[in-house]
Amino acid sequence: MNDNRNRTPSISPAAVVVAAIFLLVSVIGINWFTSFVPVVLPPQASAESKSVDELFYVLVIIGGIVFFLIQGMLLISVIFFRAKSGDQSDGPNFHGNALLEIVWTIIPAGVVVFLAVLSFNVWMQNTEPKATVNLIDGDEVKINVSGARYAWTHTYQTGRIDPNGAQIVINSGDKLHTYIGQNIELELRTQDVIHSYWVPAMRVKQDLLPGNPATGGRPTDIRFTPVRVEGETYPASYPIVCAELCGDGHGRMTGEVIVYADESQFLQQFYEPAIYAIMNPPADPVLRGEILIQEYICNSCHILDSLGWTSRTGPSLNGIADRAGERVPGQSAEEYIVQSVWNSQAFVVPGYTEQMAAFGPDQPDANAMSAEQLYAITAFLCTQGEQTDCDIENQTVAIPAAINTAFGLDVDITFGQGDGAESDSSEAPDED
Amino acid sequence: MSTSISHRQKLKPRDQRVAALRLKNNRLGMSIFQVSWIMVFFALIVVNWQLRYSYAQWPPVGVPPFEPLLPSLATLALLCSTVFAQRGLAAFRGGQLPIFALRWRLTMALGSVFMALIAREFATVSAAALATQYGVTMRLMTGFHIVHALAILGVMLVVYRRALAGAYNGNEAAGWAVEGTAKLWHFVTVAWILFYVVLYWLC
Amino acid sequence: MATIAVPVGAQAEQNEQEAVRRPALSEYLRWSVDHKIIGVQYGISSFLFFLVGGAMAMGIRWELLTPALDLMVSGSAYNSLFTMHGTVMIFLFIIPMWAAFGNFVVPLQLGAKDMAFPWLNAFAFWLIPPAAIVILMGYFVTPAEAGWTSYPPLSTLFSGDGQTLWALGAHLLGISSIMGSINFIVTILNMRPESMTLWRMPLLCWAVLATSIIAVMATPFLAGALTLLLLDRVAGTTFFDAAGGGDVLLWQNIFWFYSHPAVYIMVLPGMGVLSEVLSIHSRKPVFGYRMVGLSSMGIAFVGFTVWAHHMFTSLQPELRIPFMITTMIIAVPTGIKMFSWLGTIWGGKIRFTSAMLFALGFLSMFVIGGITGVMLAALPFDIHVHDTYFVVSHFHFVLFGGSVFAIYAALYHWFPKVTGRMMNEQLGRIHFVFTYFGFLFTFFPMHIVGMLGMPRRVAVYDPSFTQWNQLIGLSAFVLGFSTFIVIYNVIRSYYRGPIAGANPWRALTLEWATTSPPPVTNFIDDPIPYEDPYGYGTEAATAYLDAVDESFRNGRPASGGH
Repeated sequence: MNDNRNRTPSISPAAVVVAAIFLLVSVIGINWFTSFVPVVLPPQASAESKSVDELFYVLVIIGGIVFFLIQGMLLISVIFFRAKSGDQSDGPNFHGNALLEIVWTIIPAGVVVFLAVLSFNVWMQNTEPKATVNLIDGDEVKINVSGARYAWTHTYQTGRIDPNGAQIVINSGDKLHTYIGQNIELELRTQDVIHSYWVPAMRVKQDLLPGNPATGGRPTDIRFTPVRVEGETYPASYPIVCAELCGDGHGRMTGEVIVYADESQFLQQFYEPAIYAIMNPPADPVLRGEILIQEYICNSCHILDSLGWTSRTGPSLNGIADRAGERVPGQSAEEYIVQSVWNSQAFVVPGYTEQMAAFGPDQPDANAMSAEQLYAITAFLCTQGEQTDCDIENQTVAIPAAINTAFGLDVDITFGQGDGAESDSSEAPDED
Repeated sequence: MSTSISHRQKLKPRDQRVAALRLKNNRLGMSIFQVSWIMVFFALIVVNWQLRYSYAQWPPVGVPPFEPLLPSLATLALLCSTVFAQRGLAAFRGGQLPIFALRWRLTMALGSVFMALIAREFATVSAAALATQYGVTMRLMTGFHIVHALAILGVMLVVYRRALAGAYNGNEAAGWAVEGTAKLWHFVTVAWILFYVVLYWLC
Repeated sequence: MATIAVPVGAQAEQNEQEAVRRPALSEYLRWSVDHKIIGVQYGISSFLFFLVGGAMAMGIRWELLTPALDLMVSGSAYNSLFTMHGTVMIFLFIIPMWAAFGNFVVPLQLGAKDMAFPWLNAFAFWLIPPAAIVILMGYFVTPAEAGWTSYPPLSTLFSGDGQTLWALGAHLLGISSIMGSINFIVTILNMRPESMTLWRMPLLCWAVLATSIIAVMATPFLAGALTLLLLDRVAGTTFFDAAGGGDVLLWQNIFWFYSHPAVYIMVLPGMGVLSEVLSIHSRKPVFGYRMVGLSSMGIAFVGFTVWAHHMFTSLQPELRIPFMITTMIIAVPTGIKMFSWLGTIWGGKIRFTSAMLFALGFLSMFVIGGITGVMLAALPFDIHVHDTYFVVSHFHFVLFGGSVFAIYAALYHWFPKVTGRMMNEQLGRIHFVFTYFGFLFTFFPMHIVGMLGMPRRVAVYDPSFTQWNQLIGLSAFVLGFSTFIVIYNVIRSYYRGPIAGANPWRALTLEWATTSPPPVTNFIDDPIPYEDPYGYGTEAATAYLDAVDESFRNGRPASGGH
């Protein structure tokens, strides 16, 4: 098209000097940034986090080279190739250079292939199946995580048996307890919408997908192995975060991973005390209720000052015992509380929406609540008030017939029996 | 999209150029529209395909598979109708209006037979099938298709009557309405064949 | 050796009054099939939505100044706010804004009298106001609060009627986008002058062609997805409800099959603008013209194979690797463009006009979005930062650092052609400085809070991130303020800017070979394009430009122009 299309634009020596200086600055800059990396990432608390971070260093170094290369060329152009004032002429009629174009196609292609291979290796390494998982006291214990708007619930399906011959299940609420070197494998299930289980310090994340309850939901897995972090005091705590928008309280849907220094500390400080507490529940139903209510996700939506709950999605539980008797005409305070838990949609407090899940024997996973547990929780809530209307002594709360029918149950709760385990409940099936 | 300008008078060269460009634009525009809109049908096929994985088998356990006989007859009717639509277009271009009229009446009749048969299929999905995505996606796909077929059949009827009234005589550009309608009908045919294969044969 | 083709545009009978003889403002408020009117209609309405979406962003940052929920009454209120912010910015601002420039500039660059289907063009535009009303109305009933991605079951079983209206509005906008794109493809392929082969076409046309191909192929998938969402919401079907045999990942697959290519719908025209602006304002041909044009097509094609990287934390693990690889590959054509642009300005004679500043700003910011894009493609690292502020930062570097900077560059570049008057360059520079640094300090720190553990879409966050968020918030207010500078500049320049003349930038493409603003038929006769749209630096080109100036000289006041 034109004779001077292959004329290379002249590059002044000054540009070369600037380029050299810029190169130097870039190298220093990249070095500086990589030293900055620990500040921009959470502690490396898992084996996986180390390899992910190594990949991140590589990405940052290559990205840094590209960044400084392009900004540098931009800077040089801006400084040296600006039109002199009054110069109305055009630049050189230079249309391109095939070799250069091939180079800047091939090199980036090579770089991304390299990064893909590297990422693939890290991925395979991190997802490699472990010989043993969730090893506790010589047993592989199944740990389930339930996500519900807006809280996590962790349950340990232990190998221990309670005096009645039932398997002991430890419910540790929003906390996952583990110890250094334990290969954790969690089975995640959601009760409602999509959630995402993220432990930033472990660099792991997995969505919880709604599945068909009739076929056992759609469990997903997440695996990691906690490792020792320099300078950390154990037991150490790392946040769990919900990373997929799940509604009103999404930002509050958090939890903690508690990492113990070793298995014996884990057993001593968490596991054995938890089992002991289950085997020896307090005689006072109020105390049992206070423990139990914290195992469920009530705190994700309700305010209750005595337990430090602050969420405002649902109505406040402060002084609930004073109001419960007046909410529904014809219902006593304790009847109302029982109904609000067991059949939560039957009455929605004005000003709030129908968000609350139901808890009862017919509910799956983390929403399962036996009649005895409901009794204890009701007893506890009945103490939350100034002049409590509740009468938890010597009184039988008849579960409304409609609820009993709906759940196929025949249950009444009798208050005031010292031994809560003997509430007047027929054994409800675990799953319906 | 279809322009229907009647060119009775002799066209000046510049106008001829404009008319030729308009025809060229219409043809290309129609092709792009067809390629574009067929993607919705592909999207519904993806829906059907992915939902199959929610079930252990397809059709799901306890659901009788659809009987392919009537839909096959309907497909045959539709195929014949699309051939008649094309042959009718050829006759129209050749200036043989009565032959065009006959062929397009056949097109519309066969198209109606097709729609009646598919509507019957739509209406008689078993309750067992409707309880699963097997029946629901079938209704989604056939319903979505029928809406298109019905709309285009309506256009065809209008264009047919106007063509017989002489609205599109003159030149190729003016006859675009007939050509475009025939092409839309071909689109309906292609879209249906995709659905037909997915719904009745790929199980 | 090149022949000097004198443009046969609106001839030299223009006087000063005519130089700014513009359509009456009322023309813009009614139905018109003139592509220039429609272009401005698109532009003004999109910019108004930019202000609406921007005001929402200010509300979001206001809320996030403190870790607790204070400005909003509830988390839901916050959720619906960012849902509308995303929807408005994507569907009502960026996509229609490119239709604005495409409409105004593409037919002019092709020397065409109008688009291929003028009526369809107007119809596509007039679908936007009702769609916008439907979507915004939803905000005042029970607003959609599932994010612009509207993942079920949050958007089906747990949302109010606003979600239904959202889906209806998005449906209309999708149809508008498909019709507009068909129009662009036909115009570009059929309505070029005979001497303008595809390889002599301005790169904006290449970019708009690639964009439109993506839009016609991908948008129907959005239509499919929205149809299912509507059926689930109003007709009781269970396509996304697992309890009824549905699948929540179905939505994610179909939605992202549209919405990932939609990212390129939003950024490719900006890349076309960049090729124009960088070449013209550094007075040098586009480096590697063919590769720049082809890489648009490459991005369009590869863009269809990467959607599932948005699902790295929900997809079956064995399917994640292939999508990582395709996502990495798409960096290559983008890299070709970056380097070609640098090659374009390298050795040129750069004029620091406002348009050029924003184009350089694009180069400097978009590269960060590109780098973080590759980082996000790296599956193990993505697992950590998926759905965090790192992602928020990444896509704002692409869509603000990319698209919005390019929109501003295009505004300063073509404003003289649209209105016949120049923008104020001094205000343009001030606007650039505020925007550039406001943007950088708003969005760069988001990378860090994301990596440290702050998820996106939260109204309450860990107090340890407070200082970062305050820095982000204050910078965001600076960025928000910068918008008023350009609004003032546009209004002031519309009435009082210097007369631009036909070709203030001395550009070779055809839109500058007619009066500013162009007459209704654009050109009096069929214009003949210069043989090379970017052939700066030859005597032939200079002679051509002088000839253009000469033929419009009578219309140019001695004091006007540039």
